[in-house]
Amino acid sequence: MTGLNLTMKRSKKRSFRRMMLDYPYLMSLMVCLFLLIVNGIFEPRSLGFEGLLGTLNSYLPLMIVAMGQTYVVFAGDIDLSVGSIISLVNVATVALIAYYGSGYDAIGIGILCGLGIGVACGFFNGICIAVFRFQPIVTTFATGVIFGGLALWIMPNSGMAVPEYYWDNYAGEVLGIPFVILILIFMALLITIIARHKFTLLLKAIGDDIQPAFQTGLPVVQTRIKGYMMCGLFAAISSLCLTGDTASGDPLLGVKTTLLSVAAVVLGGTALSGGSGSTIGSAVGALIIGLIGSVVFFAGISYEYQNLVQGLIVLLALAGGVMVSKR
Amino acid sequence: MPLLKVSNVSKSFGKVVALQNTAIKVEIGEVHILIGSNGCGKSTLCKIIAGSVRPDRGSIQINDQPVSFHSPIDAFQAGIGVFYQELSLSKLRTVGENIFLGNLPVNRLGLIDQKKLKQRATAIMKPFAEVVGADFHPGAIISDLREDQRQIVEILKTISTDAKILIFDEPTSSLDRKQVKVFFELIGRLRKQGKAIIFISHRLDEVFEIGDKITVMRDANTVAELKVADTDKDSIVHLMVGQKIEYQNNHQETLDSERKTVLDIQHLSGSNFDDVSFEMKRGEILGFGGLHGQGQSDILQTIFGVRPATNGKIVVKGQVAPKMSPHKAVDLGFAYISGDRVRQGIIQNRPIVENLSPVSLVKNRHLLFSRARMAEKSKPVLKQLNTLFSGFETSVNNLSGGNQQKIVISRWLIDNPEILLLDDPTKGIDLQAKADLFSMIRQLLKTGVSIILYSSEDEELLNNTDRVLVFHGGEITRELVGDERTEFNLYQAAFGDSAKLAL
Repeated sequence: MTGLNLTMKRSKKRSFRRMMLDYPYLMSLMVCLFLLIVNGIFEPRSLGFEGLLGTLNSYLPLMIVAMGQTYVVFAGDIDLSVGSIISLVNVATVALIAYYGSGYDAIGIGILCGLGIGVACGFFNGICIAVFRFQPIVTTFATGVIFGGLALWIMPNSGMAVPEYYWDNYAGEVLGIPFVILILIFMALLITIIARHKFTLLLKAIGDDIQPAFQTGLPVVQTRIKGYMMCGLFAAISSLCLTGDTASGDPLLGVKTTLLSVAAVVLGGTALSGGSGSTIGSAVGALIIGLIGSVVFFAGISYEYQNLVQGLIVLLALAGGVMVSKR
Repeated sequence: MPLLKVSNVSKSFGKVVALQNTAIKVEIGEVHILIGSNGCGKSTLCKIIAGSVRPDRGSIQINDQPVSFHSPIDAFQAGIGVFYQELSLSKLRTVGENIFLGNLPVNRLGLIDQKKLKQRATAIMKPFAEVVGADFHPGAIISDLREDQRQIVEILKTISTDAKILIFDEPTSSLDRKQVKVFFELIGRLRKQGKAIIFISHRLDEVFEIGDKITVMRDANTVAELKVADTDKDSIVHLMVGQKIEYQNNHQETLDSERKTVLDIQHLSGSNFDDVSFEMKRGEILGFGGLHGQGQSDILQTIFGVRPATNGKIVVKGQVAPKMSPHKAVDLGFAYISGDRVRQGIIQNRPIVENLSPVSLVKNRHLLFSRARMAEKSKPVLKQLNTLFSGFETSVNNLSGGNQQKIVISRWLIDNPEILLLDDPTKGIDLQAKADLFSMIRQLLKTGVSIILYSSEDEELLNNTDRVLVFHGGEITRELVGDERTEFNLYQAAFGDSAKLAL
């Protein structure tokens, strides 16, 4: 009897573990819904279309960086330079668009170069870490300072504006659908495809344990570099979105984003030690961070306490996640 | 013409010579057994063929073409598949993903074809379906599986590629008899398909069941190549032993039956060992022998409370010990010295006196730490071990490596332990420290300390113990007392030569 009971308990525990492995973002999704409801209680209008669109508008860039950060974390690495990549791509794009005369073609060139710069930054990180075996945290901290320095060199002061078509399109609609929603759908499709690609499995196998991955003959070095390049690409996309939102160049644009992206990845159920998790979770994690901010704001907590309360709630959400996954 | 030909390969790690002019030839359709005792270089040779270790000298030829591997990827592409003894699995991935990690079924875009992956996995797992249990399916996560199931995944992973040369480094250590049978049938089929197979085994029975040829290794050398049909178990054991050495009986006098039993282990089970019972008397030195990783360390760690016991009793001086923890074990008079930990145990850049103190601080709960008392107390032990140092307040980093190791060993001996558990203690320490440790051990025995010595160096084991328990697969296969303590008997029992166990 007890034996049977025990196996049942065990299989129940296994199926739960299994569910967390297959859908690591379930917990964060629930937390996210809960926060949405709380938000709605404090400010009913926030649950309307306009309110939701506003939230998405503000946090889409963070969602995208967090997705990119996830690929690096899958492999057990980390990228602390994403904030600086965002700043660098922003100022480079804005400056290039102005340089080429602010026409449609100039915008095209600017966007393509911006994406290229993001990928190049990621490539540089990847070479340092996967080929020269530098320690990821310190390396990307240092390259982050370099990229940020480059941004300041290109544009010492914030302010150069982008042409109207750029931000007008970003804030506008295509076929009656808001442009930010289109971007979200595009990104969702992109990460779903990548999740099924061999690339994701290789990253996770490397993050799980690098030695067996190496002994199995997997292209460990190339895959880690590709992870960083993917992260750089996503940071660049995020930067282009932010540019649409702020409509100007700012060499310190991404400063706050770096650690928020790491927090979003963890809140999304991805292990920092590598090997498991999901990009969707990171997007949800980014939304959680955003919603916590707005809950604190709508709850009418006075300004000087907002950061404190926000931090405490993030810690609580993390603790909840840890408790559930250790059950 | 051999498919794989390794000649004159040498490899040293620092001062340690792992391989010296080794050679092996493997033909198509041949199962080639590689056999030898601990540390003879089998695994290093395999890792060189697999591309994960680079040789200092020597050549590898496949089909008469010289090859040079810079990484496992090169070896993989040259058609070499490897079963790693420590397994090369991704623990959070599924069985199917692990088996085909090296050649995933993907479509044109590089997306994984989950359906095909599952089909292929089911097909390749089919022979094992009846001997592994229902929870073994393509979607199972590796970390949920038992050790034997994981080993089978590694086997399937090795044969899933179209490699021509397959290397199996102890593939059957956790498998039961039925599983081994299925695996050997599989090997038989691979042999017919014309694969060349290198098989490292720790079971002599298996050698004769599956092997075509045998290469025997001893002391970093390949000493003989034989046809299995032309030889027998005893000859192989003789080849592994080499020349015969007589061992002295140092401690015969300690074996008298009137001495008190200090430690009585009854039916103890835990991870990697099962139903182990033995007694130890005051002032006795008991040896644990056998091949590496047959449960010896696990037993010592379980007695010391590092790992939990799943069954059985530990009786210390007539009292049944409660659930053990290292802290309780220290209180009961145990000390545990592991060769693995000696180097790690050094507290870098701190004075010698602080490096001597950790165990003593656990055992005696003084409110304040008196450096003078600590220093005074440790003097006799340090002297016995011939430790050279200028003062208790000098940094431990000023000492030579051997003396640093003596400091770490001393910390366990300061408070007069009654039962000393030595877990392959000389693995990490230099020759001089080793000699001093054994002369100290002889002193301790005279004062009535009891010692269990597990050593992977057979000469050291036979030379320094009264009695040897030989382990194989987590069980005691033979007890060697007095004149029985020969390398031949030790190897025979260590390789699980079941015919002789009845003795």
